Amino acid sequence: MELQMAGRDTAPLPAAAATVGSLLEVRDLGVSFATKEGRAQVVTGLNYSIGEGETLGIVGESGCGKTMTSLSLMGLVPPGGRVTGEIRFGGRNLVDQSARDWRSLRGRDIAMIFQEPMTAMNPVMTVGRQIAEVLTVHEGLSTASAFDRAVELLEAVGIPSPNQRARDYPHQLSGGMRQRAMIAMALACKPKLLVADEPTTALDVTIQAQILDLILELQEDTGMSVQFITHNLAVVSELAHRILVMYAGRGVENAPAEKIFDNPLHPYTRGLIATLPDPDRKVDQLFVIPGSLRIQPQRGCRFASRCSLASEICAATEPPMLEVETDHFVACHKVTP
Amino acid sequence: MLRYVLSRLSQAVLVIFVMSFLLFVLIGLMPGDPIENMFEGNPSLTPELIGQMRELYGLDQPITLRYWHWLMAALQGDFGYSSLYSRPVLTVLGPALLQTGKLLALTLMISVPSAIILGALAARKPNGLVDSAIGLFSFAAISMPNFWVSLLLIILFSVNLGWLPASGLPMTSDASFWLELRHLILPVMVLVMFHVGPLIRYVRAAMIETLSADFVRTARAKGLSEGTVIARHAVRNALIPMITVLALSFGHLFSGALVIETIFGMLGMGKTIYDAVGNIDFNLALVGLLLATVVVLISNLLADLAYAYLDPRITL
Ligand SMILES: Nc1ncnc2c1ncn2[C@@H]1O[C@H](COP(=O)(O)OP(=O)(O)OP(=O)(O)O)[C@@H](O)[C@H]1O
Ligand code: SF4
Ligand SMILES: [Mg+2]
Repeated sequence: MELQMAGRDTAPLPAAAATVGSLLEVRDLGVSFATKEGRAQVVTGLNYSIGEGETLGIVGESGCGKTMTSLSLMGLVPPGGRVTGEIRFGGRNLVDQSARDWRSLRGRDIAMIFQEPMTAMNPVMTVGRQIAEVLTVHEGLSTASAFDRAVELLEAVGIPSPNQRARDYPHQLSGGMRQRAMIAMALACKPKLLVADEPTTALDVTIQAQILDLILELQEDTGMSVQFITHNLAVVSELAHRILVMYAGRGVENAPAEKIFDNPLHPYTRGLIATLPDPDRKVDQLFVIPGSLRIQPQRGCRFASRCSLASEICAATEPPMLEVETDHFVACHKVTP
Repeated sequence: MLRYVLSRLSQAVLVIFVMSFLLFVLIGLMPGDPIENMFEGNPSLTPELIGQMRELYGLDQPITLRYWHWLMAALQGDFGYSSLYSRPVLTVLGPALLQTGKLLALTLMISVPSAIILGALAARKPNGLVDSAIGLFSFAAISMPNFWVSLLLIILFSVNLGWLPASGLPMTSDASFWLELRHLILPVMVLVMFHVGPLIRYVRAAMIETLSADFVRTARAKGLSEGTVIARHAVRNALIPMITVLALSFGHLFSGALVIETIFGMLGMGKTIYDAVGNIDFNLALVGLLLATVVVLISNLLADLAYAYLDPRITL
């Protein structure tokens, strides 16, 4: 591992050295926090990969560990959190790499946009400077030319009069404009992977659609890979090639998007599909599966308390993730090949 | 902006008028009699003479009328005489204000940067070793009474080690800069201890909150170094509200200066007002207190302007 890291300070990543076509491979990822009641395992044994130019949608309800999964790709799990397993990116394992290696990766190879455009920007620094900062750090641009690039980037993400907006402070922009500016910031160094953590949740519906279109368009232009996180299956239906459904810190179903929508196999996924809103119902009313999510150390299937198919075996042993049909993985005792 | 300043200034003028009346009445209610005090122990003072003196000084008139006379004279720049010093009060208060100004300026120049540095250091790892040590220090600084610290420092540096003078300079002396500085070291140390404790706690809390803010995470996600994240993104956001805290602490600091000046025998504003009240020097006490009010009002106005200047979300 040390060997692979040598000389990795400024040189760009070697294109997909390990697995052909796969940019990111997450193996047995775990995220845990020390709490007063002991260790809280908020993500457990998570496996997935993202190919080059591919969009993976990660779907699951609030608190299931989507944000922690994303932050572990950036080395930004909050203090007290421990990340275990492997995160292979361009052939290297990122877990346990040095702070210096993380810094040269963040914002350049992997970039992230966040749920709350209102609070994600520094309120006392102009939008242009905040974007320019990424370029001065990673590409060694001077402050002036980085600012010019920032204006171009703002234009590229469809912000009108970018020259003026670059000189504005975040509070002078609307939520949608701020999220566009965040996207401009994330894409400044042409990252290989964009991690989008519920980037549209805080926006109203028409703006949501515009931002989704923008991400789709930019992805087609740049060929980057995207990990798109949402608690709303309807949102990823348009842009995800593949979908990973998470429940209580675990992956429960992982398949190409068509298979998830046409033939959902896990009872939880089925519940999600069944409760998909009509176009004229409010998006927020998505989750009407009875019961609520609990992350606790427990034996057996974590969904058992809410599952209509649950039987004795479900409470006794944890169902393994199996390939029940070609390229369709499900973790459920009642769904077998 | 200009409109804001003008309206704030006119408010300030109103406050000063009201304050001057209240102070006038309150000081008039003080126990003790200025005339008796002035000629205390003078055997030739007969009751008739006292009556004549009262008339001469206008003390037989109702208080509202006396206030009116005082105000008219003050508006023409005549603030009256100090009975204690037998000089116009402004010539007493001018040097006193300068003395206190030096004391407070030096104190702020040390306490504010050290509070920022110590508070930010403590916030990097809450409840870590550094944080605990700094927490202990600020707790000690808050709990030790300042007269006690003064005496401790005097015993240590003046009496035992003989390094520093235990008293402030006499006002009249024509001292060199360095001599004056030597005399200021101990009082400034005490005032810094007095001021810095709560400020450290404030900076620490503000930094901890800011460091967990979303925009700090964004800054880290850009690949900035931790030093840049703290210096460029966190500190400024955490410190803008500190301006208000500083302005509020200013009155407190001013009252702390009073105790310190008395202990170190410095003729600053605090000691001058204290002596004026003790000796029933009506004019000096009144104008001194008014001047202190003006200083606090001005510092509050400047704080608000600085806040608006530093925070782009605020327009005046
Ligand atoms: N600092 C922490 N210490 C302990 N537990 C934490 C900490 N931060 C998050 N958690 C827990 O980790 C779990 C996963 O949180 P995460 O933010 O990843 O959920 P999420 O899927 O992103 O939810 P949402 O849709 O609400 O954003 C939650 O149950 C949360 O309570
Ligand atoms: S394992 Fe059992 S409880 Fe879990 S989802 Fe499948 S059927 Fe339901
Ligand atoms: Mg989240």
